[in-house]
Amino acid sequence: MSFCLDTYLQQSDNYEIHASKAGFKDCAMIIRFKADEVVYIKPGDEVLGVRVIGIPPIPIGIDEKKGTVFIPYTKPCHGTSVVELPIDSEEMDNIRKLDTQ
Amino acid sequence: MKALILLGCPETPSQTPMAVYAFNKLSKIGYDVTIAANPAASKLVRISDPEGYYDLNLVDLERALGEINEGDYDLLVGFVHKDAAASFFVTFDQILNTRSIALVFERDINLIEEFVNMIEESQSNAKIYATRAFHNPSPIKVQFDKAVKELD
Repeated sequence: MSFCLDTYLQQSDNYEIHASKAGFKDCAMIIRFKADEVVYIKPGDEVLGVRVIGIPPIPIGIDEKKGTVFIPYTKPCHGTSVVELPIDSEEMDNIRKLDTQ
Repeated sequence: MKALILLGCPETPSQTPMAVYAFNKLSKIGYDVTIAANPAASKLVRISDPEGYYDLNLVDLERALGEINEGDYDLLVGFVHKDAAASFFVTFDQILNTRSIALVFERDINLIEEFVNMIEESQSNAKIYATRAFHNPSPIKVQFDKAVKELD
């Protein structure tokens, strides 16, 4: 079965929230500041089983040493959060393939 | 012709009557209209039409986001009154790549400017109609009527 971020966040506590109930631009800035490597994707591109919401170019942070990604996660009433969660190297490469820059 | 109305967080009172108004107006000019909303916004709209007079076609926002593709709709209308609503609108707009209208409204003029900038920075071709509004739907109605008139 493929990975689904929504389900993962409901069923696991192995993730870190770096910002919550924030604006998209602030979250984008946090991702660029915190991550060693940043990949820029288009709104609607699929990462970890969900279409990512935001204003292009949307930064996705990668920490290869820790094996984690930082992604913006937006809900209509709760704004945008930055979630850092572990992923495998195959998913990391899939994200890199989405890079627009 | 198919139109998708995108609702934001329902904490703005004017959004619900405007959703019904926009559904009715677009239906009358020949659009097959769908409203995409989160569960709370959806309930507010559904309960506003207890007899099913408008035959409102409501779908779950997150599900719609996962399922839509370019070409699915001929028109996108988004209610943009929060940062998250601007992000959702831009995302739907980019996926659908269709004619689009952003109805931007807020009490605070600085936030209106911020949301308009977010849409413009996304290189969207959306026509943006912005007004100060929160409780009173009339200014949004005026902008929406103008937007519909300019569709021709």
